[in-house]
Amino acid sequence: MTQWILLAAETAEGGGLFDLDATLPLMAIQFLILAWVLNKLLYSPLGKAIDDRAGYVQGQLSSAKDKKANTLAIAQQYEQELKDVRKESQQVIAQAQAEAQKIVSDQVQQAQQEVIVERQKASEEIETERADAFAYLEQKVEALSNQIVEKFV
Amino acid sequence: MDLVNTLNLSHYLNLAAIEIGEHLYWEIGNLKLHGQVFLVSWFVILILVIVSFLATKNIQRIPSGIQNFMEYILDFIRGLAKDQIGEKEYRPWVPFIGTLFLFIFVSNWSGALIPWKLIEIPEGELAAPTLDINTTVAFALLTSGAYFYAGLKKKGLAYFADYAQPSPIMVPFRAIEDFTRPLSLSFRLFGNILADELAVGVLVLLVPLFIPLPLMLLGLFTSAIQALIFATLAASYIGEAMEVHGEEH
Repeated sequence: MTQWILLAAETAEGGGLFDLDATLPLMAIQFLILAWVLNKLLYSPLGKAIDDRAGYVQGQLSSAKDKKANTLAIAQQYEQELKDVRKESQQVIAQAQAEAQKIVSDQVQQAQQEVIVERQKASEEIETERADAFAYLEQKVEALSNQIVEKFV
Repeated sequence: MDLVNTLNLSHYLNLAAIEIGEHLYWEIGNLKLHGQVFLVSWFVILILVIVSFLATKNIQRIPSGIQNFMEYILDFIRGLAKDQIGEKEYRPWVPFIGTLFLFIFVSNWSGALIPWKLIEIPEGELAAPTLDINTTVAFALLTSGAYFYAGLKKKGLAYFADYAQPSPIMVPFRAIEDFTRPLSLSFRLFGNILADELAVGVLVLLVPLFIPLPLMLLGLFTSAIQALIFATLAASYIGEAMEVHGEEH
């Protein structure tokens, strides 16, 4: 095997494995041209696309972060407002209950007073009626006793 | 010599014949070129350009299909360059390192996956461009040039003063390194691809069916690894050349 390679390297006239010639510089030039072409065609545009995308993602990410912070602040504000409103509503309810209580007790008191007044009036009326009735009865008694006296006398 | 001839002449085993060190020569003026290397390298370049064109034809923010795939690869290359060169300086070097990786990778895989031997050419045979020492030496020398350029551009002539860091004893070693680096880069790639090609070729010659498959798979793996190694080393040399002493991590 080695013999064979050596043979090939040695025997080919003007050739062989290690035959350096104008292929070398031309290959180098060709390579540099390829590098230039690929830079224009591949590395620049695609690299730009990658960088742009990275920038875009970064921007999106930071704007999303901003939005999140904003949203959180708003949510907190709403919660605060909700708390305030709840407190206020409780106050209103308490006030209304107190007012209602007061009205109720006022009404009750008033009614009681009215009842007392009515009762008093009624008892006074009863009293006068009774007095009247007594007076009438006395009158009747007197008239009757007079008649009796007259009949007997 | 006899053995080579019998191998090449055995027609019914033509698929498995191995030709090494024979080239399809093109002559331009008095310059000699290895035609088969350029033919396959143009094929590789065509693939890369077409795929790149398709990937960037209609760039979407949400990538899909081939754009997604190429973005994955570009991300990989950028990561490689960033790891070796550093966050600050890696960007201008992405085209160089990326093209090294892509070209070597597609070359190696095309050599391993496409039965080039079915296409007859007058002399030699079509194979991965990286199977030719000219290609690998060209890339290795470009890498040397790249890291010298990077160092000199960043530090000026003070780049050579860094050879004496951390102690002047290092100067000869660093100087020798400048020669061994391209040598090892080029021969590593060339040797691995050649060895793989030969091993698969010989095995196919002996047992044409099924048996060589695991070795072919191993070849695909080696090919990919070699492309990665070449690109990583190139990036690391460039990174090292630009490294500022006293600021190391």
